[in-house]
Amino acid sequence: MEVSEPVLLILLSLAEQPRHGYAILQDTERMSDGRVRLSTGTLYGALARLLDERWIERIKEQDSSRGKQAYRLTAAGRRNLQTEVARLKHLTRVAALRVARKET
Amino acid sequence: MLPFYRALLRLYPAAYRYEYGDEMMDVLSEVKGEIREKNAITRIFFATREAGGLLSGALQEHLRSVTGSYDNRIFSLRRLGMKSEYRFPKTTVGLMMVILAAVMFTIEKAKAISASVPHANPPVGPIQSAQATIVQTLLVTLIWAIVSGAIGWGILYALRRTGVQQLSEMNPAAGQRPSK
Repeated sequence: MEVSEPVLLILLSLAEQPRHGYAILQDTERMSDGRVRLSTGTLYGALARLLDERWIERIKEQDSSRGKQAYRLTAAGRRNLQTEVARLKHLTRVAALRVARKET
Repeated sequence: MLPFYRALLRLYPAAYRYEYGDEMMDVLSEVKGEIREKNAITRIFFATREAGGLLSGALQEHLRSVTGSYDNRIFSLRRLGMKSEYRFPKTTVGLMMVILAAVMFTIEKAKAISASVPHANPPVGPIQSAQATIVQTLLVTLIWAIVSGAIGWGILYALRRTGVQQLSEMNPAAGQRPSK
């Protein structure tokens, strides 16, 4: 599955703890310093896709009297996120080297 | 704005609305509460973005319901445009191609052997004609089997989709995604 920036931010948000929809929106905005603000339609499109791929799962939020649905990473989702983070680390390392070489 | 968002949510497929509709309305309601204190321009910006997100999301879901894939490619390399529970394994496609290649190879080999063997009694016109007819019949039968199989699969897939949609509308629990 292709991991776009919004999807990566959603996964990172859920890597910390299970969250419900609005909490994910707020957290992704916070993580990106306000640069990425997902719309509700985009968020649920991404969540549906991640559920379909079994990267995340739905749970009942424990501290909610209304029985709100929350989302959390599955073991496979966490593994895939770690792979994606490793890929990004490698990319930024290569990018830093290339840029440094160009400047000298 | 909430009635407007609710109207836009109706553009989504029914099963999707059942599964996520209430949650999405909750989030939209919280977003509305968050921007209540902002100025008019910010509110218009938020509302436009939310409406755009709902419209593109609805389009995406309808495309997915047609193609069965979030990639929206009818012939995805990973799976052939089906829902996750009915994935068409790549190995099956590979196996079918190998079988088809083997059949074609066998026909060609048989023709070559037939041509290389000297005939004690030279074949007469009607026998050659009969051989050609058999090969043609085999090929036509093979093509017919593949085409009818594909059509049959398409009909069954369409019926299944319609059935699942109707069942999920009749029995809300049927459309619910299992949570782990």
